[in-house]
Amino acid sequence: MAPPIYSALIISLGLGTTMTFASTHWYLAWMGIEINTLAIIPLMAQNHIPRAIEATTKYFFVQATASATLLFAGISNAFLTGQWDITYTPYTLTSTLITLALAMKIGLAPLHSWMPEVMQGLNLLTGLILSTWQKLAPLYLIYQIQPNNPNIFIALGLLSIIVGGWGGFNQVQLRKILAYSSIAHLGWMILILSFSPPLALLTIIIYILMTFSLFSSFMLTRTTHINSLSTTWAKIPILTVSTPLILLSLGGLPPLTGFMPKWMILQELAKQSLCPLATMAALSSLFSLYFYLRLSYAMTLTMPPNNPAGTLPWRLNPRHNTLPLALTTTSTICLLPMTPAIMSLMPF
Amino acid sequence: MSLPNISRVSASGLLRSSCDLRWLLRSVAPLAAPRRALTHMGYRRPGQPREDRPPWWRVKFDLAKGLKGMKRHFKLLKEEFFAPFVGPMGKPIIEHMLEQNQVLWEFRGPHSLQEWTISCDREIGGKSEIYLKVGRNNESCLLYGTLCSDPPKDGETRYSGYCTMRSKQPLASFDRKKYHDWSSFNTLHLRVRGDGRPWMINIVPETYYTHQKDDMYSYFLYTRGGPYWQDVKIPFSKFFLAHRGRIQDDQHPVWLDKINSIGFTLGDKADGPFQLEIDFIGVCKDYAHTEDFAYEKYKRNPEV
Repeated sequence: MAPPIYSALIISLGLGTTMTFASTHWYLAWMGIEINTLAIIPLMAQNHIPRAIEATTKYFFVQATASATLLFAGISNAFLTGQWDITYTPYTLTSTLITLALAMKIGLAPLHSWMPEVMQGLNLLTGLILSTWQKLAPLYLIYQIQPNNPNIFIALGLLSIIVGGWGGFNQVQLRKILAYSSIAHLGWMILILSFSPPLALLTIIIYILMTFSLFSSFMLTRTTHINSLSTTWAKIPILTVSTPLILLSLGGLPPLTGFMPKWMILQELAKQSLCPLATMAALSSLFSLYFYLRLSYAMTLTMPPNNPAGTLPWRLNPRHNTLPLALTTTSTICLLPMTPAIMSLMPF
Repeated sequence: MSLPNISRVSASGLLRSSCDLRWLLRSVAPLAAPRRALTHMGYRRPGQPREDRPPWWRVKFDLAKGLKGMKRHFKLLKEEFFAPFVGPMGKPIIEHMLEQNQVLWEFRGPHSLQEWTISCDREIGGKSEIYLKVGRNNESCLLYGTLCSDPPKDGETRYSGYCTMRSKQPLASFDRKKYHDWSSFNTLHLRVRGDGRPWMINIVPETYYTHQKDDMYSYFLYTRGGPYWQDVKIPFSKFFLAHRGRIQDDQHPVWLDKINSIGFTLGDKADGPFQLEIDFIGVCKDYAHTEDFAYEKYKRNPEV
């Protein structure tokens, strides 16, 4: 793609999300989300391969449906309340409709079916943008609406954790696994959103760090299938050490950073006397841990059979800039001891 | 019965004869493999009368067959339900990760021919013939026939002369589409014995848009005529994209995670008999082959 066009699309992506962040009016918020969607469409389809076009088309249909529903709900809310303020959604019907539209936007269960197929059709960089940046604007709007009844958030969150873990069980394509991982993590965010929004913010920040480092690792080794993970040791040996730790951090195991949001969320749910819910969420995340462990096993504890020495790839300096990967990997692995400092920074 | 005579048969005669394929096919050789019946095609040859029969007239309603079918589908559904408990695609993950070779089709008896379908230009009025039968000692399959490049005299078709054998779409329970997942592998491995003719191997992946339904990825299979078997290994990076037989400018490698079927086509314009014996068709992972794609992409608007 020509650099000016590429730059324009990337700037539009940033503009759309920033516009949504800065808005208090439903129209402006919706417009920001639409700019985001329209900006990423050419990025997804730039390869002109059939699978990428298919993923782009499916993504466009889903996002257009969700945007239309969101706009309808915003207009209905304005009609009923007489004002366009995003934070004022007293009617259950409109707030539920808005929540479902935004849930479809970010791929929460039960509106998640599009996510694995779309991710499978994209390259890893576009998949990273889809998993991280594209979630920010809708999550901000969900944060703003704050429905009176948190039951819908609890239902969506718990279902997403279960579906995200169950769905990734028998996947061997890494992009689909990352899609289900995204669904599960979004479930955790939505679960705690109505009880402690700063914790949801913490969860999303840590999720972005972990996902960025994992995607970057896969981009460096150019792996998209679980089988090709077993040859990582021949390409970049240090990644064979760090990527399993990133995966275990995504699974929420201490003493890695990924444990921090889960720990805080479970603690907050216990404070809210929702111990059964916390137990179910914790047990459901074991499904996700299973396939993260499977990836770690494939990468570190497996040698591919009959790998002749003559076919080892040349270990050249990587073409990509590895500084972001280094920073995010360090954050993904080592931030847990800083939990008290991070909690003190959170606006509770 | 020659084709011009069919148009003089009455409609009721056509209805009776549509159930009997021998009326429509010139050959009376016993059918060892299913072939596409002329009545089931979407293409109507120029000059043929339009079918006025409603579509349900072609369906043979049979309670016993229906019950047998339901039993088969529920059995498949049960297998599909319990397969994920074993691992991806019904096999343990360790087997999935460690396997380097997988035999997809091994011709060891008449049952193995049920997964294949054969076709030739007879469907458009040509004169080629093709048959598929089990080879000697049930050790292979033999695809044989006669190629004839004479175009049908319908005033419309200019070229003719093809014979093809294609695997059927794998189906899950209740006739839902299933796909082959060859993403763990990078090479197609065949053991064949030919007669020196050049064949074309066509891989048809799953597509999304209707204008992509004729997309296929092709490569050549040059056979030797000798009595010795030939092990052919073709990397998937060599397959190029063609649409309705025309090679496309915008090329890309074939995506192997959703493959519908694989086929062999003969269309070398050399009229006469042909034979191709196939022992097995499989896929393998060649770690020495690191090529992504063998062809340069043709840039229609190059940057200057």
